[in-house]
Amino acid sequence: MKRLHVPGWLRLLLRNPKSRLGLAIIAFILLVMIIGPFFASPDPNAFNLLAARQAPSWHHLFGTTDQGSDVFAQVVVGARQSLLLGFAAATLATAVATILGVLAAYSGGIVDDGINSIINVFLVLPPIPLLIVISGFLKTRGLWTMVLALGLVLWAFEARILRSQALSLRSRDFVHAAKAAGESTHRIVFGELMPNMISRIAAAWVLVFYISLLTDAGLEFLGLGSLQKPSWGVTLYWAQTNSAVLQGEWWSFVFPGAALALTVIGLVFLLAGIDEVSNPRLRTERVGGGFAHRLTELVLPSRPARPPAEAS
Amino acid sequence: MRWLLRRIVFYLFAIWVALTLTFLLPRLMPGDPVGGVLQHLSPSQIQANPGIVQTYEALLGGGKGSILHDYVVYLRRISHFNFGVSTSNYPAPVSTVIGRTLPYSIILVGVSFFLAFVLGTFVGMIAAWRRGKSVDSVLVPMFMSVGAFPAFFTALLAVYFLGLKLNWFPIQHAYDNGLSPGFDWAFISSAVRHAELPALVILIAYTGGWVLNMRTVMINTIGEDYVQVGFAKGLKDRRVMTSYAGRNAILPPLNGFAAQFATAVGGVVVIEYVFSYPGAGLTLQQAVLGSDYPLSQALLLVLALCVIGANFLMDILNLILDPRVRTS
Repeated sequence: MKRLHVPGWLRLLLRNPKSRLGLAIIAFILLVMIIGPFFASPDPNAFNLLAARQAPSWHHLFGTTDQGSDVFAQVVVGARQSLLLGFAAATLATAVATILGVLAAYSGGIVDDGINSIINVFLVLPPIPLLIVISGFLKTRGLWTMVLALGLVLWAFEARILRSQALSLRSRDFVHAAKAAGESTHRIVFGELMPNMISRIAAAWVLVFYISLLTDAGLEFLGLGSLQKPSWGVTLYWAQTNSAVLQGEWWSFVFPGAALALTVIGLVFLLAGIDEVSNPRLRTERVGGGFAHRLTELVLPSRPARPPAEAS
Repeated sequence: MRWLLRRIVFYLFAIWVALTLTFLLPRLMPGDPVGGVLQHLSPSQIQANPGIVQTYEALLGGGKGSILHDYVVYLRRISHFNFGVSTSNYPAPVSTVIGRTLPYSIILVGVSFFLAFVLGTFVGMIAAWRRGKSVDSVLVPMFMSVGAFPAFFTALLAVYFLGLKLNWFPIQHAYDNGLSPGFDWAFISSAVRHAELPALVILIAYTGGWVLNMRTVMINTIGEDYVQVGFAKGLKDRRVMTSYAGRNAILPPLNGFAAQFATAVGGVVVIEYVFSYPGAGLTLQQAVLGSDYPLSQALLLVLALCVIGANFLMDILNLILDPRVRTS
């Protein structure tokens, strides 16, 4: 049998213990998302008042809600909506951040000043209240409307990082050489700058992915997301609305919450791994040994000073 | 001083953007916000407030005047903090509702977020100074792993385990039923009791970030020459840690404080919702769900102003702590 071809970047990420753990967690989540629905009841929102408020059992692995819906079905089917939304919003925000960040750094002058001010203003506007008010004005909150809103609110902090990275690359020799050789701006930006920023852009994407995942779940939890389709945030919203917590029905919020937390932790580890692979200086030198210490080094994403923008 | 002047110009610009954004948002969105608001008032209530329709139109659009004229009227109303009547709190004006709810949030968030910063920086400093020892290998991973949880999930778990199962804390509202807000012992002690669990959740959710931040910067600082000078002078270990390494290492996290505060303000909306804590965040959520657009618009503006104010305070503190900023 021919050996499976593993692309170079993936091999690098699999060699790093942090990104390996992160990828394993994400792979597990994706696996559950794909095969889970085959084992769950077909309709995650099915009412069955006779089976309401049941604790986890063999019949209902994660218990049932106030309406008698199966929580396991809601979690595995809801994963689709939650992850798709985070994925799409992260892609949009990263695209905006990359274009504006590179454009600002490469153009310099008044364009840079303008874009930089916009970035800084966006950083002092509280993103979640802004999103809450926006979703209040939206009459229909479908998947793509929410993607648009999240992407256009959450791009700023990555734009700042990508801009400063592009700034430092702009004055490197290879860019000067390309300019001297008469390369077009288009070719310098896409042929010289971008390939050198790809790891930073990937890290940006992972970061925005988990922030939009958290933010969207937070909005849905407040009753302000797209509530038609099941997702982790929506399950949490109904748990809170029906005061499941106060009635001691822990399963109705623990399982969707844990799914969300596990995904975020996987993405955090992946992010830490990408940072280390792309910047060898960040790799932690081994000080002493011992299990506790190795655990610390694994848990600690050794990324340089940057507020981990915890979103919700 | 030129630096401070530039910051002030920037903040004025940011305030202008916030004002304009709150003006444009309802006008850019589909639908008829004024109609939506008026649905929540009965005809007699509208009649009892002459000029209320004009006020809403100035705030939300849909009037007959040009947009420029609307903008001028809007700015004039806001400078008097006149946002009209809050439909979900009829007959209270928006400004009264904000005056009633904002103090809870400011005290809760202000105190607990500041505590998270102090605790996190302190733990981060010690963890970096004694790398691989007990604080570094027990406390740091602990803070990091609970900090990775979504804040509202932590809040739900706290309500369930610490509030409901162990019954250590009250789990809802800002004070006991039957009390009325005032400066008396019964109210204040009850308010403090009710703020404990939300504050603890904020502490759990936000300390980890500061630990990591401070630890990373501190590790880099320890290699600096001036730290070695401190040792060469024969100063005590603790003195070198706090006055030499720590004092310099704290500047980057301090600079990140304001940016973090913007996201924390959002996290608090969700936490207040879990605890039914009657602060600005819960009010914002209720206002948006109840189509009380004037209230939500004003709250967004006020929260943005709070974040801008916090940024400005941090700049002043930075000016005091970092001499390089003063001379540049």
